[in-house]
Amino acid sequence: MDLTTVAVVAATAPHRHFRFGLVLLGLLLVAAIVFLVTRIMRQREARQVRDEPRAAQPQAASPTADLAQRPRPSEPAPRRQVRSRSLAQGDWAVETHGLTKRFGANAAVNDVELFVPRGCAFGYLGPNGAGKTTLIRTLLGLTRADSGSMALLGIPVPADRGRALARVGAIVDEPRFFGHLSGRDNLRVFAAARGARAGDRIAPSLERVGLAGRADDKVRSYSMGMRQRLGVASCLLGDPQLLILDEPMNGLDPAGMSEMRAMIDNLVEEGRTVMLSSHLLDEVERTCDAVAIVDRGRIVRQGSIDQLLREAGAAAVRVECSDPGAAVRLLEEAHLADSVTVNGDVVGVTLRSGATREEIAAINRLLVSREISVYRLEEARASLENWFLSVTSRLGRTP
Amino acid sequence: MSELAVTGAEAAAPRPPLGADGSPPGAGRGLSALLPTPDLVSTKLLELRKRTGLMITVVLLTVGFPVLVLGIRLLLHAVDPSSFGPAGSPGLFSGLTNAMAEFGFIIAATVGATAGATDLSEGVFRQLVVTGRNRVALYLARIPAGLSILVPLAGAGFAVVCLVTSFAGLPEPTAARMNGVSVPMRLSEGQLESWLLTHPNQATQLAGLPLLASGGGSGAVAKLGPSSPAEQPAAVRKARAEVRKHIGTIYSTYTLAEVTQSNPAVNEMAKIGAWLELEVAIGFLAGLGLGSLTGQRTVSTISLIALQLIVTPILAANVIPYFINGQRLVVGLAMDQLRPIALGSANGGGGPRAALFGGRGALSIPPMPTWAMVAVIVGWMVVWSAVGAFRMARRDA
Repeated sequence: MDLTTVAVVAATAPHRHFRFGLVLLGLLLVAAIVFLVTRIMRQREARQVRDEPRAAQPQAASPTADLAQRPRPSEPAPRRQVRSRSLAQGDWAVETHGLTKRFGANAAVNDVELFVPRGCAFGYLGPNGAGKTTLIRTLLGLTRADSGSMALLGIPVPADRGRALARVGAIVDEPRFFGHLSGRDNLRVFAAARGARAGDRIAPSLERVGLAGRADDKVRSYSMGMRQRLGVASCLLGDPQLLILDEPMNGLDPAGMSEMRAMIDNLVEEGRTVMLSSHLLDEVERTCDAVAIVDRGRIVRQGSIDQLLREAGAAAVRVECSDPGAAVRLLEEAHLADSVTVNGDVVGVTLRSGATREEIAAINRLLVSREISVYRLEEARASLENWFLSVTSRLGRTP
Repeated sequence: MSELAVTGAEAAAPRPPLGADGSPPGAGRGLSALLPTPDLVSTKLLELRKRTGLMITVVLLTVGFPVLVLGIRLLLHAVDPSSFGPAGSPGLFSGLTNAMAEFGFIIAATVGATAGATDLSEGVFRQLVVTGRNRVALYLARIPAGLSILVPLAGAGFAVVCLVTSFAGLPEPTAARMNGVSVPMRLSEGQLESWLLTHPNQATQLAGLPLLASGGGSGAVAKLGPSSPAEQPAAVRKARAEVRKHIGTIYSTYTLAEVTQSNPAVNEMAKIGAWLELEVAIGFLAGLGLGSLTGQRTVSTISLIALQLIVTPILAANVIPYFINGQRLVVGLAMDQLRPIALGSANGGGGPRAALFGGRGALSIPPMPTWAMVAVIVGWMVVWSAVGAFRMARRDA
């Protein structure tokens, strides 16, 4: 029997020889497949719910006052000025009112009132499972909100989602690409979806994120950092006014983080708004001008970083001087501080609430006037991390 | 300086208003927003085309398979013509094309499931959605992209079969063999009737044909035989009467014998090619819809392979009481009925004579009306596309 005969038999034999008993076999197979599909879909759904936060907790006092109208700290800060704007529609890069998204009984996003000023780097900070990614997915129309309203760049979504997203670049979760395509080809795919002139921006975007040299390599050979950079390049294809980056520092080494920080800084300098979610407190503190802290689906605080740090607690000053004992006595007598402690050669001074930089200068003047040599005087502010832990449920307390 | 490398004073300049560089994607209203752009189609084509393993499989099953089979047959015929006939025989043409249809459906379903599911499984779907592009447009872009790969390849494979059949085939036979009777080829129904009436012995011999026997009753046919010289005129008269009565059925059998014993004509090949492409298109659309529905490439592909290779043959071979109309909803049965007559097996029968592609009937089950057959085929293409698009538009990304 030659191959042609085999082919002919293969093509025609089943029609002649199967009997009714095989009907049951076929039906069983179909039933098994349907069962398998259902089971896989349920597992996926369950996994999604599991990744979301536990049961929603009562919201703590949440300042949702006009973030942009808050006073700036009196001391000169290296951060960009968070522009003062009114609440007129269109002035916020991101604006949500009563936004809620539930997965069964769990509220992943719970009555969120979020206001992201334009032209700044804004951190959406929260512990794992706080609902950061769900909020971003809801904003971008990847999943539907259960209630509430939202607007991107002043354009209501999802009502006018297409127009809003035309000037938004986003990475949700980790940036994902077709591994069998090159970086350039992946950008072609996204540029085609963007339409219009996005194709012309492929080369500049690759150049900007430093991937021009590897653009024709397959993405499966990229490191995590390179994928993150390619993700940013894909965001830039639409020349966005707003970039939403979900955990952009994830998987990056220190050098990669530094590069990403610089890139975000440049983007903001260009007048774009960057909203990033993160659980890396230090990174948010370094990168962002303003922040919202989210816990169990609710925003517990939002404001500029400096504002929140001031809320976080009194500033402290550490002084290294020639006579710590005398310095402690002098400072206590002068009532310049709430408390003064000494630890070896270092005097720790906790300033009164609302203290300004002038109090620090006064401490220096006082010590020098009494002929105590001051070798070093540095401000030791409370870190965002300490405060973050105090306001979120991470420590098992109700914020 | 590139457009993106804006610094300093340029940064302070007001940004252009939305839509300054053209309409934002997905912002269109109505039908225009649903239509995929040529760029979307071409990049989806790029994404599929660069799946090397899949593309190699597609080429092997659509073009490689007939090339291999015919190549071997050509070689064998060249080496030992007495044992191996020419590669271009009607039987080989029919067998190869039927096999290509089976493979075509399966590989098309695989490509469809890949196109429908990989955006999801590779996590790219959400990044496409956040561009603001209408989700239905993203879905619809996959259809021309996938078909632009499959249709030319299936066509190329079939063209190879046609070329070999036409140029390396048997000489055109002058007579068709029916029940041991040689009847001249290319007769019309009237010509066949005249020929049979003038050849009573052959007409009598044709009484053994199952169709004629069942149509005229076996008892009547049995009496047609020339049992004795005295009875012969009566038998001839009876045979002529039977021929006149059953000429339609005889002609149908004659046509089947004609097309299965001679290489198909060009117009018949065109019909077969169109049927083959339709089979491929249905496989692709079903795979695409199911892949988009489940988000699982493997599950979708296996389901459709099971449908094609197990469920359809079983349903085609067995009438399930009170479920005959349910059986007819399976696209494979409708496609079997639509199968061009030149691809039909010798026992094929029923079905709408010369309807559309000259369908041979859905194997052992009673045929369905032509409109129902067309409705099932079109329904499968439309419903799967709609289901896939709906799921894609509604699913969480």
